[in-house]
Amino acid sequence: MEPSPLAPYLPLAVALLLAGVLAVAVMLLASVLGPRRPSAVKSLAFEAGNEPVGSARQRFAVKFYVVALLFIVFDVEAVFLYPWAVNFQQLGWFGYAEMAVFAATLVVGLIYVWKKGALEWEH
Amino acid sequence: MVPTSNYLLLAAALFCMGMLGVLVRRNALVVFMCVELMLNASNLTFLAFARHRGDMTGHISAFFVIAVAAAEAAIGLAIVIAVFRSRGTLNVDDIRTMRH
Amino acid sequence: MRVPSIPAADFLPLVPAIILLVGACVLLMTEVFLRSPSRGYQAPLSLFFTGLAGAVSLSSAFEPARPVFQGFAAQDPFSSAVTLVVCVALGLAVLTSSGFLRSRNAERGEFYALMLFAASGMSLLAMSTELITLFINIEVLSVGTYALTSYLRRGTRPAEAGFKYFILGAFSSAILLYGAALLYGATGSTKLSEMAVVLPAALAAQPALVYAGALLVAGGFAFKVAAVPFHMWTPDVYEGAPTPVTALMSAGVKAAAFAAMIRVFLVLGKGMDPSVPLALFSGLAYLTMIVGNLLALPQRNVKRMLAYSSIGHAGYLLVGVAALFVTAEAPAGDGFRFFGATPLLAPGLSEVAARADALKGLLFYLLAYTVTTVGSFGVLAALERSEDEPKGTAWDLDRFAGLAQRRPGWAFAMAVFMLSLGGVPPTVGFMGKLLIFRSAVDTGLVGLAVVGVLTSAAAIYYYLRVVVAMYMRPAPEDERIPVTLSWGTELALALSALAVVVLGILPGTVTDWLQQASTLWLGQ
Repeated sequence: MEPSPLAPYLPLAVALLLAGVLAVAVMLLASVLGPRRPSAVKSLAFEAGNEPVGSARQRFAVKFYVVALLFIVFDVEAVFLYPWAVNFQQLGWFGYAEMAVFAATLVVGLIYVWKKGALEWEH
Repeated sequence: MVPTSNYLLLAAALFCMGMLGVLVRRNALVVFMCVELMLNASNLTFLAFARHRGDMTGHISAFFVIAVAAAEAAIGLAIVIAVFRSRGTLNVDDIRTMRH
Repeated sequence: MRVPSIPAADFLPLVPAIILLVGACVLLMTEVFLRSPSRGYQAPLSLFFTGLAGAVSLSSAFEPARPVFQGFAAQDPFSSAVTLVVCVALGLAVLTSSGFLRSRNAERGEFYALMLFAASGMSLLAMSTELITLFINIEVLSVGTYALTSYLRRGTRPAEAGFKYFILGAFSSAILLYGAALLYGATGSTKLSEMAVVLPAALAAQPALVYAGALLVAGGFAFKVAAVPFHMWTPDVYEGAPTPVTALMSAGVKAAAFAAMIRVFLVLGKGMDPSVPLALFSGLAYLTMIVGNLLALPQRNVKRMLAYSSIGHAGYLLVGVAALFVTAEAPAGDGFRFFGATPLLAPGLSEVAARADALKGLLFYLLAYTVTTVGSFGVLAALERSEDEPKGTAWDLDRFAGLAQRRPGWAFAMAVFMLSLGGVPPTVGFMGKLLIFRSAVDTGLVGLAVVGVLTSAAAIYYYLRVVVAMYMRPAPEDERIPVTLSWGTELALALSALAVVVLGILPGTVTDWLQQASTLWLGQ
């Protein structure tokens, strides 16, 4: 029989199924085993720390943007660290030196950001 | 296996959508997102060709484009905040003091 | 896995860019660690790094061309010459910046650091021979200049200019990148050297892909060099950016982008019918010369006038670029007949010699335009007062009225720059135009040369208007000239005026160097 064109997606289907089963199981277990002492704050919908009710079009303090900005810049550098780490053995000292220069450049940026006080949440 | 041409068509469609968005959308942030869409369409093109040819260059290119796009996003975000602070709007039609 | 081995000698060509990068990092660190309020050391420090980088690139200017990093970059006289032009632009811009920033109480290490970062991107762009490396370096120089454009955080103009520059710059980079992706798809490589080999076969198999890719790449570059019809951002961005930054943009960014464009299309032109890039660049040159100069005519705002004039100058440079693609055989079609002349080499001129001539003209013009334009923006920076900026009158022609009586030195320098931009002998601008138009005539591009001469003649009108205002109109009574005398600005004006006159009268040494460099690069 010809293998179905969907065959490579089988692991994905298994993962989806497992995730679904796990989610249902955890919720069932929690509702069966957990104690229940509701309060006004606890029964609010969880919104990652924000007030769940009110206008969604509120402004965010600008310090959120600074953190977001720094996060983008420093986070994406992992794109280069990962392939380097995988091939670390073969790349040898040359690769090590290259990555050291790369990391040193990032550290200069980090020191600058730090000394500028951009990492302080409370001014 | 999905043929390469499908990926290329998708990428071309994304690129055109991004380009159209830059030209017609009014909100500065949306315009900025459309530029990112164009970059990612290029990335998809690189990857589709790389897979088609069994060549690594396209994959590596995509990594570098991601990093460059992040730098661009950071500076873009900073500039958009500066624009908003100086005039309180992100409508690109209002951002035109310098017309003669 | 095959690990590439890279000889240490491959790092030598990078030394100028590394010096600039180290300088930028040093400036960032001194800015945050040295807490003293006096920042007078920053401009000399930046100048030191700029001079060092320039000296290193000059010392390697006559080394034979060689590929480095397995074909990702190249060390050749062309890249050294462009790096040198960038260092000249950077040095003069730094000199003007110190006084400009101090009078606005905005002198910070970040400003110089960003300038050095952007310049290192320009230097690396000039030596990139691989499309992704090229894209990254375009972004390095662009991200630096986006930030510099909106550096002054007062009023709405800098933010607006920065935003426009950012959106259109990112847009053009994305177009260029998509073109690069298509070329990669057609040839299977992003290295120019490998593309050149595969291109004829790729062109036979998938002509649409190659031409679409090449056109998109050309469009991206046309944005960066501000060629018509991709010039719309230029006046607003040039006007809104801090004046020293405008100087760096109009000289350095233009030089680096032209260098990369020439490099890419010299390779692509080998694989395809040369009449395609010839038609493309001739068309862009016609449009850019005519539209840029026409739009400059009615401007009373001198900074905006210089922005439009920089578009016009991009047009003259494009004439030189077009001359690079004229071959010994006549093109097959009849479509390239301009004013009765066919693009064909003058008798007795070999293809390599014609190209070397055109390249020499281009490099000389870039140098000439750099010293002249940075000088004229320097005068503007010295004259403008920050309180006029919100009203938009800081660069009005009236500000120049009677300048000859009050500041004869500045007025003389400005007059020299205006004459040079207009191409009046005996200035360097005249020599640049002469070289470019001569190589256009030698390659049979008579139409381009004629339009070039006509538009230059028209341009003299708006350049002379500034000179007339300075020397023949009385100064307004209430007019106050800023008294902030800065050694940097004075030195920058003196140096660039001197360069304009000396290179205009005795261009021989420099043109000989450039001739030698061009022949060395192309003659391989």
